[in-house]
Amino acid sequence: MKRKLIITLLTMALVAMAVTGCGKKGASSDNSSNESSDTSGKEEVKSLRFLDVVPSETRQTYYEGIFEKFQEETGIEVTYESVPWDDAANKITVLGSSGQLPDVMTTWSGWLGQYTVAGWVVPLDEYVTDIRGEYTDAVNNLLWKSEEERYGHVYTIPDGLMVKGVFVRKDWCEEAGIKLDPTQDWTYDDYFDLVAKLTDVSEKHYGTSYRGARGALDPLLVYMQGYTGGNTYDQQGKILINSEDCLNAFIKWTDVYKNGYAPEDSINWGFTEMVDNFTGGLTGTLINDSEVAATCQKNMSDDQWMVMPMPKSTVDGKIYNTINAPYSYSISGDSKSPDVAWKLVEFLSRSENSIEYCKLTGEIPIKKDVENDETYGLNGPYATFVQQLNDPDLAVPTTYGPFDYTDLHQGMFHEEIQKYLLGKEEAGTALTNITDELQSRMNDYMTKNPDATIETALKLQ
Amino acid sequence: MKKKWDKRKPGHHAEKSKMEPYFYILPVVLLLILTFGYPLLKSIIMAFQNYKLSNINDVYFNNFANFKKMFGDSDFLLLLKNSLIYVVISVTGQFVLGLILALTLKQKFRGRGLYQAIVFLPWAFSTFVVGLLFRWSFNGEYGVVNDLLIRAGIVDKGIAWLGTPGLSLVIIILAMIWLGIPFFGIMILAALQSIPEEVYEAADMDGCGLINKFFNITLPFIKPTVIITILLRTIWIFNSFDLVVIVTGGGPANYSQTLPSFMYTKAFSGYDFGLAGALGLMLMVILSIYAMVFLKISNYDKAGDF
Repeated sequence: MKRKLIITLLTMALVAMAVTGCGKKGASSDNSSNESSDTSGKEEVKSLRFLDVVPSETRQTYYEGIFEKFQEETGIEVTYESVPWDDAANKITVLGSSGQLPDVMTTWSGWLGQYTVAGWVVPLDEYVTDIRGEYTDAVNNLLWKSEEERYGHVYTIPDGLMVKGVFVRKDWCEEAGIKLDPTQDWTYDDYFDLVAKLTDVSEKHYGTSYRGARGALDPLLVYMQGYTGGNTYDQQGKILINSEDCLNAFIKWTDVYKNGYAPEDSINWGFTEMVDNFTGGLTGTLINDSEVAATCQKNMSDDQWMVMPMPKSTVDGKIYNTINAPYSYSISGDSKSPDVAWKLVEFLSRSENSIEYCKLTGEIPIKKDVENDETYGLNGPYATFVQQLNDPDLAVPTTYGPFDYTDLHQGMFHEEIQKYLLGKEEAGTALTNITDELQSRMNDYMTKNPDATIETALKLQ
Repeated sequence: MKKKWDKRKPGHHAEKSKMEPYFYILPVVLLLILTFGYPLLKSIIMAFQNYKLSNINDVYFNNFANFKKMFGDSDFLLLLKNSLIYVVISVTGQFVLGLILALTLKQKFRGRGLYQAIVFLPWAFSTFVVGLLFRWSFNGEYGVVNDLLIRAGIVDKGIAWLGTPGLSLVIIILAMIWLGIPFFGIMILAALQSIPEEVYEAADMDGCGLINKFFNITLPFIKPTVIITILLRTIWIFNSFDLVVIVTGGGPANYSQTLPSFMYTKAFSGYDFGLAGALGLMLMVILSIYAMVFLKISNYDKAGDF
């Protein structure tokens, strides 16, 4: 009986080991991403691993195609791996802790604090020093400058840039005798005037796709930051967006809805409704990311739409625009051959490849020479976005804070604004409720992180 | 030759037989523990934790902080009021219209089968489809309802059904009633068809009128079915959040938000699973109390006794 039990247990253990791939050989193949053969002391890398944290069928098709081209050019095979966005942070944490990170990863900027400290990403300064001039000013002076200030080095190469602009119904403007020039500066007051002029309820024409639901505070925050130098807090961590100027900005912004320049239903609108109703012909303007240009191209004719830059602040003349690189490329600390991994990153960043990628994602390529491209050139649909990236007045305002505000973003922010729009509370109360909550969280954060540096707006000049 | 089992102690076979049913139900019990018991236990634990998916490395027990946050929310009473209005009007509407439907379908008439198939159709629709149907029908700019009202001269400009406090909840209630009438209809019709015709014949001979027959024969016979259907529908409707999320997303300013849809939003948009767990636990307690009280006051155990 006892013997039977021992045999059973041993069999189970062997099966378990076989199933889980336990054993020296398996472990070594898991840890080592690069198949290599030793030729006269120098290792020749034959393969790399690549991790995509926002997989989709389109992205996978793009990457597999581009990796084939890379293999043709270098002879190096790249394995495409992916993890759904929701699990990505956990998966990378597990891989990083066990030393199994792939050679190249797509990385969200919010993770860099943890990854740089843990050594899960390597500095790229030595690779980019000589070629920095090839990249746009926004990459050099905003994104990389920010990384250098925060983490001491450049750690990522942007996959593309997401830039905001004001989409406008060109045909409505022509009918109303309004002339707009994307190369000329304009202010928020000009924008509000345009919204009012484009509204003709009898024709079912509303001036703007007003964002009333989730994300309602995002464009309003940027407008208010025009009065605070682009910052949400001062250097002591005291909130700035509760000033009299900001309250007036809050009222002016929401007047667009209260004055009937947006459909009443738009109090419940999020991203999808805003875009659908702009492309569908109900609204005349839409403030959104460059990714919407692809939808406009698909659903509208060229003479129906155009893009204006984000309006300038009347206080300091800056164009505050929430520019970001959604999923930058980084080289992991576990890569056995960072030089070869860089070859892949450099290949992905080449103008022709970057253009192909950005056309799929609606981003703006990161290199200067794309200005000659049909799509991203002076006469292309993305011209206004490219132009903003090189505008010396461009500035990136700060976020809501260095703490977790997901729950506020998905609830309180837009609920407070909605209460004001419905006349259930005063504008001052709504803004104070929001800023008090932000201040309370900022205070908690400062208590826990007394040495933390307060984030400030990034400016090209 | 004595058989092997003869050597065993007396009563062994009886004991084995006693245990046998438990072995049969074991797989289902294990499956339930795994798929229902564990998540339930986990959500109860999370109700007492700071459990935010956006900061998964900072999970700790925070005693009653989630409950304090839940009851302290300035919109909590509004959510409770919305939930009660939503459930009471939806269940009442479904019951009354379902009963009328069942009584109508009990009579034989030409084309009854086809009519029955059409009116039972909403039950076959997914809530998602029904939600989209109502969302578009009541769209303030393009909705068919506004179009009909303007054409009929009842209103001169479109009504923002989904953007107006009060109205937005009404649309969700209408959708829920429309969706649930067939279930009541099917259940009550089945109960009606089980009433022996002889009882009605005897009542006719005694000169009993239509109303008397309804209250003294029909209603007592269908009472057990009605009670259990109302109980089930109340629990289902109280727990349902899909229509709210699809039609209005709880807006504007939570005026069409119910407690379960609020819980869903906190869990899957705000990633605050601790707060969502506290809301879930409270919903469970409310529904348990409701089920006990309802069965008690409706004399369910005595229902159907004549």
